Amino acid sequence: MTSSRHSVFGRTTILLLCGFFAAAVICPLISMLIHLGDADLPALLSDEGIRTATLHSLAVSLTAAVIAILLAFCAARCMTRTSVRFKGFFHVCLLTPMLIPSISHGMGLIILFGSNGILTRLFGMEKGIYGFPGIVVGSVLYAFPVAYIMISDILRYEDSTPYEAAAVLGIPKHRRFTAITAPYLKKPMISVVFTVFTLIVTDYGVPLMIGGMYKTLPVLMYEEVIGRQNFAKGSFFGLILLLPAVAAFLIDLFCKGDRRSGSVCRPFCPTRKQPRDTAALLVLILLSVCVVFPIVAFITLTFTKSYPTDMSLSLHHVLNTFRKGAGRYLLNSLTIALLTASVGTAVSFLCACFTARSRSRSTAFLHLMSILSLAVPGIVLGLSYVLFYSGSFLYGTLAILVLANTVHFFSSPYLMIYNSIGKLNPNLEGVAATLGIGRFRLVRDVILPQTATTLVEMFSYFFINSMMTISAVAFLSNITTKPISLMIPQFEAQMLLEASAFVSLLILAANLAMKGIVRLIRSLLSRKKPSAAPTTD
Amino acid sequence: MEILRTVSLSKRFDGRAALEDVSFSAERGEFLSILGPSGCGKTTLLRILIGLLPPDGGSVLLEGKEITHLPPDRRKMGIVFQNYALFENMTVRKNVEYAMRFRPSLRGEAGARADELLRQMGLTEHAGKYPSELSGGQQQRVAIARTLALNPEIVLFDEPMSALDVATRLSLRRELKELQRRFGTTMIYITHDQEEAFALSDRIMVMGEARIHQLDTPRGLLDRPADDYVRSFVLDNLKAKIDSLAAYMN
Repeated sequence: MTSSRHSVFGRTTILLLCGFFAAAVICPLISMLIHLGDADLPALLSDEGIRTATLHSLAVSLTAAVIAILLAFCAARCMTRTSVRFKGFFHVCLLTPMLIPSISHGMGLIILFGSNGILTRLFGMEKGIYGFPGIVVGSVLYAFPVAYIMISDILRYEDSTPYEAAAVLGIPKHRRFTAITAPYLKKPMISVVFTVFTLIVTDYGVPLMIGGMYKTLPVLMYEEVIGRQNFAKGSFFGLILLLPAVAAFLIDLFCKGDRRSGSVCRPFCPTRKQPRDTAALLVLILLSVCVVFPIVAFITLTFTKSYPTDMSLSLHHVLNTFRKGAGRYLLNSLTIALLTASVGTAVSFLCACFTARSRSRSTAFLHLMSILSLAVPGIVLGLSYVLFYSGSFLYGTLAILVLANTVHFFSSPYLMIYNSIGKLNPNLEGVAATLGIGRFRLVRDVILPQTATTLVEMFSYFFINSMMTISAVAFLSNITTKPISLMIPQFEAQMLLEASAFVSLLILAANLAMKGIVRLIRSLLSRKKPSAAPTTD
Repeated sequence: MEILRTVSLSKRFDGRAALEDVSFSAERGEFLSILGPSGCGKTTLLRILIGLLPPDGGSVLLEGKEITHLPPDRRKMGIVFQNYALFENMTVRKNVEYAMRFRPSLRGEAGARADELLRQMGLTEHAGKYPSELSGGQQQRVAIARTLALNPEIVLFDEPMSALDVATRLSLRRELKELQRRFGTTMIYITHDQEEAFALSDRIMVMGEARIHQLDTPRGLLDRPADDYVRSFVLDNLKAKIDSLAAYMN
């Protein structure tokens, strides 16, 4: 790594990046906190509705987080510790729900378990799944893929040698769990619990759709800000929702900082064991069916003439949805997603070029700013942007949606590229300096080509999340800039469930297309890459 | 003839001395090793010589001219790092050729010069390969070729063999010595390995606790150790190695 010296160009760029974060994160959040002064805090604290909504939020978030994590743990164990077949297929199935907005999960449940739902009718159930059970099931569907991907990573990087040593020493299996597995899992699982809990507690897509009269805090905040334009009260909700997110952020930092960074000695290579693998196969089939079922319901509803009376194939709902302006809003979404992906990838790469390759107070500050957005829920970011940018030239434009999305989704891709660039040879800058290769050329000709795969992944992350998000953009968009994801609640409110289902499918299709493109580019890049099989002297 | 001189170099990190009053000179064409244990200041000295780190005090002179505050690329020096820092996305040939593109005097002949260097280093057949496809020894040769491409007066080595196995180290020592003879370049070599320093060097500078203890020929160090530190760090360690080898042979 280089020392703390930066050229004039470097210092100017760092200053500009710090300015960007000040304008895009710090000032809007401060603006929200200032608006708290307008709120009647004693009244809000004693408000029965808020107290109930807080209890509701805690109840659904805790229940859904526990269920999602348990299911994700089962799925991850099956995928990493058994030799079950079709792992690739199951992996895709289990992650597919990550490609649709949370609000679609709620809508999928309405289609399946609502008053006139497919399964409600099929099983002759008396009432739908609205309220607590609906929010819990929807939130589990929404949070499950995130928990699954995190736990899979934890299990994949666990060293198998302590288990082999324990087997040789004759330590009983239940003791191996308490002595090896539990201590290894403890800290990373704390991160998973907080991340999943925060994801659910700050989401308003699922409860808005299927909550009915069971109000949660984000729904109240949405109603106060969008419906009643009560920004002071909205700021109060924003502050409450910021608390678990900040706690999750700090706990994650603590757990990561303390985690042993030793490399894996030997990964697990599970052998074939018939009863265990069959059980794992059944678990994975069941979980895949559950998570993919809402998507099947979207397809059924979209492409049948009139479910359930006329099941003949029809494009009537597709054409009807486009007649209602879906094409225009899809174009908005694609524009916002592509711009967010381009700006976000470029800014996070630029940041990481400084923060991962040099140490100084300014780069430490830049790093902190870059990961800080993890602690700000989209709904809070949206409100703070309304309060800070209202009346400015940015307000009401696509640009503010791009800015909000860039900040909202910044941390994860930034950490991806930060790790990639950080792993490059620490003496590259030293060599470049002695060879007379400037910093810009080093970045363009050496660092950028070596991190191209990560950049493609980052672009895809920004794109997919921008296509799906409803949280920040719901506060900031207007009739001309509205992204297509916001058509889902709008169509649902108009009882056009088929159109809502088709919009969800459109978002899924766009995201699957992006995944396909990323896969193609990755394979092209890996073909160019040399194999790492050294010759001898 | 003297090519490099340092005068009273000093450097502190967080109040702790990394270098204290370090003055020495190197002769043109010689192989000078800087020998010392981890943390003795030898890498700090190397980074000051090449210009990657500014000293707190003292000066560096190349051919009698002060270069203490010149940027690294204007010091007529090259460096081979411990892990080589090759450009992984470029072929061997491009690694050697790349920096010449930014030197107007070398730009025109960059390709031909890279090919000639690769030939001299025995790397012609690997010219189209990427660094990850090469062995540790071959990577080191590419790093040296990349450095020599810019015609440096002095090449600095930062423990380049510490990551290699014993057999490769032995063969590379011979190669390095041969290269130095062929190119006549002054080489300053950092190591903590007494045996390596004695096998390669015309002179050895023994460092400990941020200062120079002795600068002498290998023979001189053996015959006239300047103090107890040199005696213990250099001679006792060498003797221990010889004893263990003898025990193994018996």
